[in-house]
Amino acid sequence: MSNCECGDKGCRNPLYDELDKFIQSQKKKKGQEILIPVLHKAQSLFGYLPIEVQEYVSKAIEIPVGEVLGVVTFYHYFTMQPRGRHTVNVCMGTACYVRGSKKVMEALQHELKIKSGETTPDRRFSITVQRCFGACGLAPVIMVNNDVHGRVTPKKISGILAKYE
Amino acid sequence: MAARAQVLLCAGGACISSGTDSVKSAFEKELANSGLSDEIELITTGCMGMCEVGPIVIIYPEGIFYQKVKPADAKDIVEQHLLKGRVVQRLFYMKPSTHEVIQAISGIDFFKLQKKIALRNCGVIDPVNIREYIASGGYEALGKALTDMKPEQVVGEVKTSGLRGRGGAGFPTGLKWEACAKEDSKQKYVVCNADEGDPGAFMDRSLLEGDPHSIIEGMAICGFAVGANQGYVYVRAEYPLAIERLSIAIDDARKLGLLGKKIFSSSFSFDIEIRMGAGAFVCGEETALMHSIEGKRGEPRPKPPFPAQKGLFEKPTVLNNVETFANIPYIIVHGGAEYAKLGTEKSRGTKVFALAGDVNNTGLVEVPMGISMGSIVFDLGGGIPKDKKFKGVQIGGPSGGCIPQEYLNTPVTYETLPALGAIMGSGGLIVMNEDTCMVDLARYFMEFIAEESCGKCTPCRVGTRIMLDLLNKFCEGRGTMDDLARFEELANTIGKTSLCGLGQSAPNPVLSTLRYFRHEYLEHINEKHCRAGVCSSMMWAPCVNACPANVNVPAYLGYTKYGRFDDALRVHLRNNPFPSVCGRVCPQWCTKKCRREDLEGPLAVRAVKRYIGDLRQDYTGLYPKKESPNGKKVAIVGAGPAGLTCGYYLVLLGYDVTVFEKQPEAGGLMRYAIPDYRLPRKVLAKEIGNMEKLGLKIKTNVSLGKDKSLATLRKEGFEAIFVSVGAGRELMPKIGGLDLPGVLPGTKFLERAAKDEKINVGKDVLVIGGGDAAIDCSRIAQRFGAKNVTIAYRRTRKEMPTNPLEIREAEVEGVKVEFLVNLVGIKKSANGRLIATLKKYRLGEFDKSGRRAPEEIVNSDEDREVDTILLAIGHKPDPGSILMGEDMMALKDGALEASEKTGTTPVADLFAGGDFVVGPSTVIEAIAAGQHAAKSIDRKLIPGRKEYFWEKYDTPAVDFDPEKEIEEALPVEYPLLSSEERLISVEVEKTITKEAACRESGRCLRCDYKV
Amino acid sequence: MKNLDELRKIKEEVRKSMEMRSGGQRVKVVIGMGTCGIAAGARDTMKAFMDFLDAEKISDVAVTATGCAGFCEREPVVDVEVQGQKPVRYAKVDREAVMKIVKQHIQGGKVVQELVFA
Repeated sequence: MSNCECGDKGCRNPLYDELDKFIQSQKKKKGQEILIPVLHKAQSLFGYLPIEVQEYVSKAIEIPVGEVLGVVTFYHYFTMQPRGRHTVNVCMGTACYVRGSKKVMEALQHELKIKSGETTPDRRFSITVQRCFGACGLAPVIMVNNDVHGRVTPKKISGILAKYE
Repeated sequence: MAARAQVLLCAGGACISSGTDSVKSAFEKELANSGLSDEIELITTGCMGMCEVGPIVIIYPEGIFYQKVKPADAKDIVEQHLLKGRVVQRLFYMKPSTHEVIQAISGIDFFKLQKKIALRNCGVIDPVNIREYIASGGYEALGKALTDMKPEQVVGEVKTSGLRGRGGAGFPTGLKWEACAKEDSKQKYVVCNADEGDPGAFMDRSLLEGDPHSIIEGMAICGFAVGANQGYVYVRAEYPLAIERLSIAIDDARKLGLLGKKIFSSSFSFDIEIRMGAGAFVCGEETALMHSIEGKRGEPRPKPPFPAQKGLFEKPTVLNNVETFANIPYIIVHGGAEYAKLGTEKSRGTKVFALAGDVNNTGLVEVPMGISMGSIVFDLGGGIPKDKKFKGVQIGGPSGGCIPQEYLNTPVTYETLPALGAIMGSGGLIVMNEDTCMVDLARYFMEFIAEESCGKCTPCRVGTRIMLDLLNKFCEGRGTMDDLARFEELANTIGKTSLCGLGQSAPNPVLSTLRYFRHEYLEHINEKHCRAGVCSSMMWAPCVNACPANVNVPAYLGYTKYGRFDDALRVHLRNNPFPSVCGRVCPQWCTKKCRREDLEGPLAVRAVKRYIGDLRQDYTGLYPKKESPNGKKVAIVGAGPAGLTCGYYLVLLGYDVTVFEKQPEAGGLMRYAIPDYRLPRKVLAKEIGNMEKLGLKIKTNVSLGKDKSLATLRKEGFEAIFVSVGAGRELMPKIGGLDLPGVLPGTKFLERAAKDEKINVGKDVLVIGGGDAAIDCSRIAQRFGAKNVTIAYRRTRKEMPTNPLEIREAEVEGVKVEFLVNLVGIKKSANGRLIATLKKYRLGEFDKSGRRAPEEIVNSDEDREVDTILLAIGHKPDPGSILMGEDMMALKDGALEASEKTGTTPVADLFAGGDFVVGPSTVIEAIAAGQHAAKSIDRKLIPGRKEYFWEKYDTPAVDFDPEKEIEEALPVEYPLLSSEERLISVEVEKTITKEAACRESGRCLRCDYKV
Repeated sequence: MKNLDELRKIKEEVRKSMEMRSGGQRVKVVIGMGTCGIAAGARDTMKAFMDFLDAEKISDVAVTATGCAGFCEREPVVDVEVQGQKPVRYAKVDREAVMKIVKQHIQGGKVVQELVFA
């Protein structure tokens, strides 16, 4: 992850350059205050936050690595596990729950043969649970990456998944 | 050139996921094809609020409202409406309660009843076009504040407005601002809390997406008022679209100099940065939120010091919610006093609510404070879909509570909700119907809190875990009464000892469900029963759970599918000895929970039941195995469904049972109230005859109180007596003229008809009432040759306590039903007929049953000349006429004190059930009562039996592949005679064919199947 | 942004667009757009209305279309309804007629008698 895929140990993953660029675009370039925005950026670049990325962030913005780890583990949004190319978020907000998101989750797990929090062996999909996307009007809802799909029934699951390669 | 018409497309989050983008491109293409691109302007707006029917398109200047618009519809709208001026009717909105078609946005109740201040621009302007915001009056408030007002004047207006924090706690906004303004500090901050964490609330999201500039303007005004020059908006990472639009808006405002240095040439400078949340519910708490902006773990800290003194980066900070800021520009432009005119004394202005869950119009509404909860759910929300029963509203998310149907009239304010154990919260309203289990709901919220607890303080971290474990026990049927006591104690302790608001309010949903739905907890614990059919570990299958007699529906359907009809009938007779009767008259509680409903529609269970019942005249060999005689005698008084069923089970358990009936024939209401055209006598006689063959003794023409008494029965050696004589006392209206010839009580009329008496009802018949008896009376009168039969009911069709199919059939036969009228007087007319005086009613406030109660309209009386008036307004039990001597101790305030669940009474050898205990109900409920009483009687007379055969369930021994794809199949229709074919004594409904019965049974999803 | 006047200038530029959505127009012009109306030139009539209204900077008039009114030989037919008054129906409204209607009726408040559908 920290290295470029060309195999040369000394060659750095170019995503770090992008992360540097982001840090330089901030008003303050270091310190605790920009930690969360930088972690957001890092996760969107790398897909997850492995320990080496956290170490890099720690050096770049000059805060202890323990502090970085503490923040990463506190917030649900940050993950230290690699995710699939597409993340299927099942909303378990109250409205979705009342309208049958449990059945949707069961169907999804059945379809992908993984549990919530896991990733398919081909790294195509991960399933996570979320707490309400604020699309309660369309409950039950799932969000694949940033696309919200409303009024989902177990029947519709395979059709929705087929759109994501 | 300005456009002549505008097409407004809702691009709120919900409409986008329903397909706004592709609808927009379709419009662009069609407008270009028709050469209208110059004349018609296409505008995407923020959320219009009616998420249920999106994507929404509104055409101005006419204001025509199109719902559920698909890309293919763009062609019609452009070519028909925009080019030729012909509106496209098929896309109009239909009012859910009346199916009335409405064309203009101004005609839709959902919009009519709203008062939009915070949402004033949502759904009206293009949210990412700053010029549209300005054109609708935007930034004028900021300009006014900076040019004409002093900071203290701004604070003064906000104080005058009475605005309170819309995020939940309801702290007066003006006071908060004042406290911060007083602080002496060079650096202060304004923070907007857009970490909308309450599941079910989405007003902040809609505001940020639909009108981001109003938040920017509100924050800038706040900055001016308190002396802050930097603002932060803390938005959830789950709201990418909101973040995108807010970023665009901030950039645009900077470009026009509405953010930045020296705004409006004043000395005031202000800028805003967005901070993305990272998925921690506790960050909605203000001190935790500020820690998160500082880049730390979002843990709360004790208060004081309050943020106004020591907030973000230890500097004085004002922290308000999105909706609060959205109200500010309006207050500055129109004045605080104007805003304060709305709402109630302590809760001023309007509030945005997010309506979700089991309600027709899900979406966003903004209404004046003080509106009733019932009005929000039923007038704005359009009521409950699929005619399900309303159960309650959850308000305030995981920190809130529920409001049950008894309190629908309560005005919604910051004061009234806490009194009911709920809170305003951010305004998320989840409507729940009868299919929601309140114990499971409490479990859901506790799971949420236990997961979201930040772990800093012990009561919250550990206490919520233990409460969750207990709730899991309840839901799985393992709970005890001791658990419940411990549970309540914990709930109180956690609330008192937690550090922050999250922990302190964590037990709220639990306390609230305990307060209003304690009976559901008790059912889970004592009866291992979940009435909503949610807690699956306590159910064999949802339909079995729903059936009062717990008939093993999937098992007999499973056998029927393969043509094993005798096996099917065997399964049925274990729990219900009346397959042919119930195959005709059962209201089918089972199908209301049928999971196939989500596909094409529930199973036609009654049709199958009727088919298998009617196949056999003789049930010998199909009944459960009869035990050898135990020598004990039981008497049953009243041969209705409850009495006969109780006798049936006792005979099977080896008792010597005699049923006494005062009528010449057995059957009770099945014989003397349900008309022949619904339930032919020979069908009833067959099932009763089979029970007699099994050994049940029935003695007719014997009346308790006249021929026999409880005392004489005891002397004859009966060791237990089960009384099920029905609800015999007819209720009568308190009006004059009841003794005039031609005025008849409904049940008396039905009974005489059932005894083959020919009654001359004349030409014009008026039936008063709205239940099954009223419908039956009207249809019998029709069959006696009446020309005009009218049912007068004082509520509306929706409130009628009868099967809608029955009403429809009556109407097919020519019966007229009038709603919102009631009989207030009867006189004799000059020509010897009757004059009925009818008064008009309207629906008023909500009553305890959650229905709107009818109220009289004064001076609306109207006289009508008729020949016969049938009064079918209800009946109730009359236990006083039966009990005497010591048995009177079973009475309390004139009513029998009997357990509905077991049939036991305070008198040891006296048991009771059916309508005699619960009042008018259905055949299947009476059967269940008989079943329960049989068990109680056996427990009393021969204690020690471990289990009863009808409480054991088996999976049918037939092939079933749970992995197989479900094929689409519509439910079978109930075959009916045409209205011309329906003569007296001809049954209206027919039996389905063998093929249909097998095919229909094959639709069963077999929810009983256990892997 | 220097002052409120600058803000109000922007507001003025976009005002017409916003007024259409508020339903506050003083005058309603309804043009018959059935097949025969379009064949008789109703599209041009519509364009003409919009051109003149624009040229005269009139922003409180809504121009909408309606279906065939059944007077095929007298198309294009146009109804003009000033708020609070009875609608007036004009027949054979061409570009020249539109100019008269805008000037005399919509701006001047006087019905163009010679064009009225009789």
